[in-house]
Amino acid sequence: MAIAVVSAIALAACGSSSSGGSGGGGSSGGSKTLVGAGSTLVAPLMSTWQPAYNKATGVTVTYGAIGSGGGIDQITARTVDFGASDAPLTSSQATACKGCIQIPWALAATVVAYHVQGVPNHLKLTGPVVADIYLGKIKTWNDPAIKALNPGVNLPSTTIQPVYRTDGSGDTYAFTQYLSKVSPEWQSKVGFSTQVSFPTGLGGAHNSGVGGLLASTNGAIAYIAIAYVVENNFDAALIQNAAGKYPVPGVPSISAAAATVKSVPADNAISIVDPPASAPDAYPISTFTYVISPLKNPKADTLKPFINWAITTGQADGPKLEFAPLPSVVVSAGKTSVNKITS
Amino acid sequence: VTSSAPTIAAGRRPFDIKLKLADRIGDPLLRLLAALAALVGVGVLLWIIWTVIDKARPAISQFGLGFITSTAWNPVKGDFGALNFIYGTIVSSIGALLVAGPLSVAIALYLTELAPRAIRRPVGMLIELLAAIPSVILGLWGIIVLGPFLGNHIEPALHDVLGWIPLFSGTTLPYGMLPAIVILTIMTVPIVSSISREIFQTTPSDLKEGAYALGATRWEMVRMVILPYGRAGVVGAIILGLGRALGEAIAVSQVIGNANHDHLSWFAPAGTLAAQIASQYQGAVTPLQTSALLYLALILLVISLIVNVIARLIVRRFTIQGAAH
Repeated sequence: MAIAVVSAIALAACGSSSSGGSGGGGSSGGSKTLVGAGSTLVAPLMSTWQPAYNKATGVTVTYGAIGSGGGIDQITARTVDFGASDAPLTSSQATACKGCIQIPWALAATVVAYHVQGVPNHLKLTGPVVADIYLGKIKTWNDPAIKALNPGVNLPSTTIQPVYRTDGSGDTYAFTQYLSKVSPEWQSKVGFSTQVSFPTGLGGAHNSGVGGLLASTNGAIAYIAIAYVVENNFDAALIQNAAGKYPVPGVPSISAAAATVKSVPADNAISIVDPPASAPDAYPISTFTYVISPLKNPKADTLKPFINWAITTGQADGPKLEFAPLPSVVVSAGKTSVNKITS
Repeated sequence: VTSSAPTIAAGRRPFDIKLKLADRIGDPLLRLLAALAALVGVGVLLWIIWTVIDKARPAISQFGLGFITSTAWNPVKGDFGALNFIYGTIVSSIGALLVAGPLSVAIALYLTELAPRAIRRPVGMLIELLAAIPSVILGLWGIIVLGPFLGNHIEPALHDVLGWIPLFSGTTLPYGMLPAIVILTIMTVPIVSSISREIFQTTPSDLKEGAYALGATRWEMVRMVILPYGRAGVVGAIILGLGRALGEAIAVSQVIGNANHDHLSWFAPAGTLAAQIASQYQGAVTPLQTSALLYLALILLVISLIVNVIARLIVRRFTIQGAAH
């Protein structure tokens, strides 16, 4: 008990000093800093932006990859200068955030990866089959539904272990939104959000946790941000799109999905999962990821140039990390939105 | 600091008057500071309990006591319940202590009575060092080594022999209840065994010698002198270990699979109260979900307090019995 009390005091002390630090650090002079937190999907891109932007402008950007849900929490509590989320704010989150604006600043994809001994890369799957796997209706890798899509592939009778994210995650949002679009049963039984109640499977925290579960479990299937799949050489499933094709997840197929965006709604929330059949090369689980800022932000003078840099110059860093460049219609909507932020 | 400075100068005559003054202030000051420290301890405890109750209030008014018997955990529909996590917490902790208890008593007996004198200290120290491993590192070892070993070798063997028992049925996996139980066992053995060892060491040697004088074998001496003498303390040590196991979040969430499923099988992924709070608090979708997580925290707090009270009652009963002999 004594130890618990002492550590509780230590924690309380840490908490107050750190929040005081980030609050006070902003207005004081000297080198300019920005503190952000949220999406783990955007984290690899952010870690190339940080040194590049620092070199170009001298501004230090600190970013905590704590998950999209955490990013929304932190900016709602104003403990950071910007939040980052792969899922647009829900109406209740937008209300709670009190005058926040979201701006799409990167474009990536969530990939269905798997680990089955003896099965080659690029297994073909459809949205409804993936939904049935995550609903627990398709239980083994040699199920007739999977066999029918992959003639000639020798599929073992290994049990399928669906793996999901336990923390609030934009990957979960994109993945479950896609499954809700292609499977009425998923839509009614589970629905979509940054956290949902998965009927079966095992959960891990963050892309790294899910990647760990996937790597160590034979028979596992998981949805993971594309950069993590490429980095770790996971086997990636090809998901059938509305045109009936199986595009390889990557920058060209993500760009093809983003090209279906013709206009940007007022709240900047853009969904491009399950794009129409008119885009035959489009990857079906592509997702925009957003930066979130209060419209009245004390750090506006530092934050606005950073966002403008990120959605223009910063996009060039994307492709080598499997991020597709933003379509021009989204960039111009972003610039208009940035101008609405004031200090 | 202020009261210690004059003490150093105690030998010098001109400071004598000042010294007496310091003494007069020193005593009440010491009492005041010590009382303040105690008050801070009590205050923080009450503050924590109040915070948990206060933040859990929206979920309590929404779900009532039905929260405890509900198995739902659906952030989309805003429907939450604690039953699966309560079950996971109790099964993983008690399972761990059922293994750790006898194991720890055996270790303690070996180190106090049976082992060659030269190795008692080093072996005892090494076992206690096990408690110094941070739980997150133990969890990583669980992911890399223990989980795959259990999932690929031990669980299939258990399944073949005991598969007719629901606890050992179903698909074997590197993640689930069994790895969590084993990790918690590893965490609690050093606590229970080191306390038990210290208790066994306090057995009066005249009692032990008396037993030998009556012609007892070593086993009879252990059974009739050491175990009865240390019973209360060992039970207390086991319950202390139980308290540790109930609240462990990080290592458990790394190996248990974090699922809200009502499987009986120890091979299936499960969840505990602490692991669920740790893995979902950041990024909860709605304020109601945050509140529901605090409701889980309140339940964990109540369970821990009940375990603590039971431990004290048991220890007191055994102590009174021991004194009566």
